Amino acid sequence: MKIVQNADSNTLTLGLDGELDASSSVLLDAELTQPDILRHQKVMIDCQKLNYISSAGLGVFISHLQRFQDAGVKLVFFNMQEKVHNVFEILGLDSLMTIVPTQQEAAAL
Amino acid sequence: MTPFPRKLNSALLPGAALCWLAMLVGAVLRASPELAQQWGTVPDGALLGAHAGMTLFLFLHERNHLSRLRGTEFVALLRRLMMGAGLLAAAGAVVHFAAQALGLIPVASNTVPLNVLYVVNIGVTTFFLARAYNTWRSLVFFRATHTTRQRWYWFELLLGIALVLRLFIPGNALVYLAVPLLGLAILGVYLGSHQQWVAYISRKHRWAAVGLQLMALVVCVLLMVYFLSTQQDTTLVAPFGQRAFLLLMTAFSAFYSFVGLMVTFVTLPTATVFEQKREEILSMQRLAQFIQKGQSEQEVYSLLFDSAVQTVDADAAWLDLHEATANPALSHRIDATTSRRICDLLTDYNIGHIDYLNNDLPNSAGFRALNLPYGSLIVMPLRTSQSHVGTLYLLKHNTQGFDRENLGLLQTFTGQTVVRIENLRLMEESLHNELVKEELKIASLVQESLIPKVLPADSWFEIRWHSQAAREVGGDFYDFLQLSASRIAIIIGDVSGKGTTAAFHVAQLKGIFHTLMLLDQPEKGQPLQPSKFMTMANQALSHCLERSSFITASFYIIDYKERGFAFARAGHCHTLYYNAVTEETFYFQTAGLGLGILRDASYEKRIKNMYYDYNPGDVMVMYTDGIVEARDVNGEEYGEDRLRELLGRTFYLDAEEIKQAIVDDVEQFSHGLPPHDDQTLLIVKFKSTQPEVLA
Repeated sequence: MKIVQNADSNTLTLGLDGELDASSSVLLDAELTQPDILRHQKVMIDCQKLNYISSAGLGVFISHLQRFQDAGVKLVFFNMQEKVHNVFEILGLDSLMTIVPTQQEAAAL
Repeated sequence: MTPFPRKLNSALLPGAALCWLAMLVGAVLRASPELAQQWGTVPDGALLGAHAGMTLFLFLHERNHLSRLRGTEFVALLRRLMMGAGLLAAAGAVVHFAAQALGLIPVASNTVPLNVLYVVNIGVTTFFLARAYNTWRSLVFFRATHTTRQRWYWFELLLGIALVLRLFIPGNALVYLAVPLLGLAILGVYLGSHQQWVAYISRKHRWAAVGLQLMALVVCVLLMVYFLSTQQDTTLVAPFGQRAFLLLMTAFSAFYSFVGLMVTFVTLPTATVFEQKREEILSMQRLAQFIQKGQSEQEVYSLLFDSAVQTVDADAAWLDLHEATANPALSHRIDATTSRRICDLLTDYNIGHIDYLNNDLPNSAGFRALNLPYGSLIVMPLRTSQSHVGTLYLLKHNTQGFDRENLGLLQTFTGQTVVRIENLRLMEESLHNELVKEELKIASLVQESLIPKVLPADSWFEIRWHSQAAREVGGDFYDFLQLSASRIAIIIGDVSGKGTTAAFHVAQLKGIFHTLMLLDQPEKGQPLQPSKFMTMANQALSHCLERSSFITASFYIIDYKERGFAFARAGHCHTLYYNAVTEETFYFQTAGLGLGILRDASYEKRIKNMYYDYNPGDVMVMYTDGIVEARDVNGEEYGEDRLRELLGRTFYLDAEEIKQAIVDDVEQFSHGLPPHDDQTLLIVKFKSTQPEVLA
């Protein structure tokens, strides 16, 4: 699992590369826990290279969801592979989180 | 050298005695003309032969005799030699001298008594020399190399040659004897230098050894003087040749005693140092044994500290342990402030954590500034393979107080200590692991008891299940409850994460399930709605789930009277269904958020009820994601489609057979790889003939 950070004035883009399982979700949690992250208006998660997400990985997003909302930070997922999207959908997260097909759409939000 | 046949060996002493008797008879016959007239005279050769025979027999006997040295009891060995044969030989010579000087034995008229005394003396001296030869050999051989032993055998050979030659060569033709004598002299000097045994005499025996060696030297010199003086005595009738051999052997004995004496004298001052080194080695051995018996880290550290202080005789010392919480620091005649100041100084010099020896502390400006009464310092860190556990500091008042050997010794001590500490820690760790394993086994048993074993006897449908945890305890959950004669509740769930934490949540979910089922009161017109169940469960779980955990579940209430079921899905895998009328296989596509994701009232809006009328022969497949996410060797997932197609081929079978077909297919798909997630499967098949419901 690799996490590529890309920040501009008010948007932080995190590119996830590989499998988000129990061990790698600890890395992601560390990234999302940083206090600095709440200074951005929007956090975009690029899921193009995310091949797999475990319940631990989902748990990381779920646990930060409320915190982001309270701070007024938008959390947007884009470029999601179908099988990963399916996992979000089954759990009902697609109705709770913003998932869009492309980066342009994510940026436009 | 080959061992001497035992029979011959036992004949050696009697042989020597016979030879001696022959010598005595010969000497008496020679000394007394009257007897000689009656019995005849004895030729020189016979007399010499008898003496040579006796010498040979005695030496051979001693040569074959085992070493008389027991362990390192050198003083006892020397004492036996000197107090027995040594005193006897000396006494003989003294008596002869005294008798001559005081004129006790008449010489002019009758020389027989003097000659008898002389022959007795020769016998006793030969006996003494033979015993001395055995003793010297034991001493030379102590810790001797093979080469030294070889040289000794050459020495024996030359002695033998000298003995034989002496028999046949007239007394004044010494030139023939030059070669063996020269060889004997060289070997004698060489062998005389083999005094290793001296180093092993303990301090209290050292003066006794000096005394005995001095005595040996005096006795040998006395015997030499005796034989040299009697050589000129014409009243003694023994042939010249007899004495020369004895002189030779006595000279060697005297020489060996002399060298030994010198060595003992020279080593007297160093003996204490040697003794101290021996003590150090012994205490190291003791420590090695003790340390391996240390039952706690504290005990092991104490043993190390006490032994180190005692062995190097330190004036002050302390042991710093990095994990000081459990182990109070050990110190010896030094206060915490002083030790702190020294530590700080060492840290400033950046030598606080290496093996360090300074024998001239006053020469260091930094140390001088501390104004402490110490001259020498050793710093010895204790390192395990992974970490640095502590440091040992030793101080002495005088400079040059420690040496390299002390440092080496301490390294051994600390090495032993660290090995024992590591062993103790490993033991503790493995014990702990065993306990955890045991606890997990218990948890697994408890969880096993939470899972239903039997279903209430049912005539409307068949139900079969399969469950396999990836670890000892799992996060999958299923349960049934007969609500009334015609209503049954079924729940299947999956707690995020695996292992013990998940297992606890499973137990909570079971409790919530059974409690909430009490709310189902259809007879009062208040049947429990699945969505209501999910909302309440979500509320209950919100208080006990950690923020990153969630639970997915599907909940069903089957009502035979209504021939239908109500259900809700909270983020759980879609339920697979086979409709026997339309002959279609499909998934129930309902929306519903997992439990514990939203923890406020807004959850209620995100869970839906669904109602479905079943037909006889319909099949319902409930499962957890461990089934559809099972992977093959290429990392490909089993998937919903494959499962749906399989049910499309197996719907007509019994519930048991359908379950087995799915389990087999998943296993075949993953090629027997162990499941990376818990797998649970529930099959409900509505019977083809549904019994009539009594009103």
